[in-house]
Amino acid sequence: MADLLTVQSLSAGYGRAVVLSDVTFALGEGQALAVLGRNGVGKTTLIDSLIGVTRRFAGSVRFSGKEIATLSPEARAQRGIGWVPQERNVFRSLSVEENLTAVARPGPWTADRVFGLFPRLAERRHHAGSALSGGEQQMLAIGRALATNPKLLLLDEPTEGLAPIIVQEVLAAIARLLREEGLAAIVVEQHARKILPITDRAVILERGRIVHESASAALLADATPLERLLGVTER
Amino acid sequence: MSKGMGAWRRRTFLGGALAGMVAAPAVLRAAPPGKPVRVGGTLSLTGFLAQTAAIHKIAAEIMVEEINGRDGFLGRPIEYVLLDDQSKPDVARSLYEKLITVDKVDLIQGPYATAPILAAMGVAQRYGKIIIQSSMGIPKLQTYDMAFPATPFGPEPDKSYPNVILDAMATLSPAPKSMVVLTSKFPSAQFMAQGMRTEAEKRGVKVPLFLEYEAGNRDFGAIAARVKEANADFLWVGSLGLESNQILEALRKLDYRPKNSFHLYPAPGPLALSPDGNLVWSSTFLEPDEPFMSRPGMKRIAEHYKERATKANLPYPIIDAQAAGMAAQWQILEQGVNGAKSLEDKQIAAWLKKNVVTTVYGPTKFDGPYNHGAPAQLIRQVQNKEWKVVWPKDLAAPGVKLING
Amino acid sequence: MPSATLLGQALISGVLAGGMYGLLALGLSLSWGLLRLVNLSHFALAFLAAYLTYEMGTTYHIDPWWSVLVIVPAMFVIGLLQHWVFDRFKVNELASLLITFSFAVILEVAIQLYWTADYRRFETHYSTLSIKVGAFYIPVLELILCLVAGVLAWGTWLWLRKTYVGKALRASAEDAEIAAAYGVDHKKLAYLLSGLGAAYAGVAGTFIALIATLAPAQIWAWLGVVFAVVIIGRLGNPLGALFAGMLIGASESIAMAVLSPAWAPVVSFSVLIVLLLWDPDWS
Repeated sequence: MADLLTVQSLSAGYGRAVVLSDVTFALGEGQALAVLGRNGVGKTTLIDSLIGVTRRFAGSVRFSGKEIATLSPEARAQRGIGWVPQERNVFRSLSVEENLTAVARPGPWTADRVFGLFPRLAERRHHAGSALSGGEQQMLAIGRALATNPKLLLLDEPTEGLAPIIVQEVLAAIARLLREEGLAAIVVEQHARKILPITDRAVILERGRIVHESASAALLADATPLERLLGVTER
Repeated sequence: MSKGMGAWRRRTFLGGALAGMVAAPAVLRAAPPGKPVRVGGTLSLTGFLAQTAAIHKIAAEIMVEEINGRDGFLGRPIEYVLLDDQSKPDVARSLYEKLITVDKVDLIQGPYATAPILAAMGVAQRYGKIIIQSSMGIPKLQTYDMAFPATPFGPEPDKSYPNVILDAMATLSPAPKSMVVLTSKFPSAQFMAQGMRTEAEKRGVKVPLFLEYEAGNRDFGAIAARVKEANADFLWVGSLGLESNQILEALRKLDYRPKNSFHLYPAPGPLALSPDGNLVWSSTFLEPDEPFMSRPGMKRIAEHYKERATKANLPYPIIDAQAAGMAAQWQILEQGVNGAKSLEDKQIAAWLKKNVVTTVYGPTKFDGPYNHGAPAQLIRQVQNKEWKVVWPKDLAAPGVKLING
Repeated sequence: MPSATLLGQALISGVLAGGMYGLLALGLSLSWGLLRLVNLSHFALAFLAAYLTYEMGTTYHIDPWWSVLVIVPAMFVIGLLQHWVFDRFKVNELASLLITFSFAVILEVAIQLYWTADYRRFETHYSTLSIKVGAFYIPVLELILCLVAGVLAWGTWLWLRKTYVGKALRASAEDAEIAAAYGVDHKKLAYLLSGLGAAYAGVAGTFIALIATLAPAQIWAWLGVVFAVVIIGRLGNPLGALFAGMLIGASESIAMAVLSPAWAPVVSFSVLIVLLLWDPDWS
């Protein structure tokens, strides 16, 4: 099976600062990758490098068999990279429905299907983005990325700052996307145990480098690397 | 805020004058030899007064050629150093300062419109320069003893001219018993409007509505509705530029036409040509008709003006009081220099105060208050799309009478 | 106390005059609100279009209803060229003020060079036509202007609300970087919008030629009131621009009828200040 995404020896950062060093990994069609690591190790920089808003110092990023490292963010998005930013960044002046349709591209994911995934959004479809709660904004941010009908979904800390009950709802939706819909995805998460059950593989970043890579199931079975690298002691 | 018009800022007309002589057979003599006498001045070549500057510039060019075609100033050719004051008094002030101190011009000529004139007059006073102007509608503001008016407003036009209008109104049948006074808040228009109201009431003509609008008013719909509702026998408008056209159009949209109306300083061409302009009255000091055309030099100046104004693409290429004022400014300066036999400001001023100067406006004196002589403001009326002087009767064009609207 | 006829007539005149404010505000509001470009040359472009209408009408006897078909597309192209400059030099909100101010001054000088500084008046036989409704007179040309402004404002509003391009533009206006990460090509849309804004200036210009006085310095005469209208109507809101225009027009006119005409210029800014302080939520 040809890889959907191949990142080869990527070094990237902002301005003159190199944040990511020599990052290499690959992702197949329909695969989901968990990106784990402490705060400030470069997880978001990795996502930013894939959507094209960082400065690249070396390396290549191939997507669907084509080099995209030199493309603008809008060109990458048009090729099928969908992004759920950490800050959510929903368009506050647009209604819920407009948030979905403003960036929509043809494909199976329509606004109505997004409403099927997140019924709460359907109820608030005519409300402005600014009127939504944090959880609703997260749902909208995911729905907005889906509406672009991406081949690859990038989720940057999708449960951060949400109430526990909402976290469950969001995680359930993500699980459905990854497991039932078979959408390829990269999920950045600090809380490994939330995400390992629904991803195929996992990488752990430390100081901008990949220091561990394995199947998600292996990490769940043997949490030693998590404890060592993330200081996770929960359960 | 610079308008970046270097090429326009400074222009001398000597070259143009020489070229003009080849073309214009009326000017037979070459300019006298010698170092030119430089006369500096500004006009509002850009900005909201720019449409008037086009007229003044042509009149000045013609006069510079005329004077050079005679004997120049004391046998020396003259050169008009013209700068653009952008219709702004503060710019005019600094440009006159520059003309006198940096360019070291020999003499100056006044700019157009009250505010730039006041600014220039202050500078002239500081350096003891004589200044001649033709468009200061409020004579009492001219307090400098070496400032001379080229246009015969008389010392108190707010008292004298309303009575000229009331005299003319009294000959109508029936004579108007009420008038609406509507005026721009432009100072010289407001000044005359207040005089008009006072004098009208003194003579028993009622003023049921006195309205002032801001200069640059855009919509006259509501004003027209008030004028219509007041429905007076006569409408007096202290208008500038195209305001009169706008007011009459707004009135027509309400299906109302004032029986007779007077317009203070309208754009003459558009008002004469407008369907609303028929038989309206306006102020003037001369029109290109008899008896004015018989005044010395007038016919030639009028012909040149028509030629140049047509060439410059001005929509109304007929000489009127505007252009004539500038012509008179130069006639006064020329006669002052020749009379005093000097380029010294004080001597020229002293000579002007003691003598009678003949300009396109006729014999002119400067012996009254604010250096003004007798008033000679007239009434003209649009008849067959042309302005004709109709009042006073002795100055009306042959066969022309005031027509009741 | 003014009569009901006078008040009604003043209201009609004012609302219709406000249509012109709204029409001029439309293009300005779009580029300011959605592109963060404050286009001072909008008025100069409108006057260029007005002078072209005048020229085609008086010299070549082309009816304005035909010349508008040439002028509006030409203005669209000028808008594109202008945007090329903004794009090329990565102009921000503040710099756009300076650049478009210079552009307006250059246009003013060019207009004066060709058409002179003298007043121009495009006389047409229909310029003063009115319809009588009861005791009131409704000027036909102003009425048509308002209908056109209404159609443009409503159409633009729908376009921004309902089409992909419109929504993408609004998304971009709010956060261009995020929108780009979702595939919105802000650059292309910005060109389209700049062209559209200039085309609206062209439409306004045609009516200016028919209704108002042409003199180069008049370019600046509308600036203050139209800026107030743009802000009252909310940046980037076409219907807001039109309603704000009519509100200001009506307020000015009522002030002229009830108080003194000299109050008119104070009105627009008083309304602006009151609304800024009150900050009603009617968007």
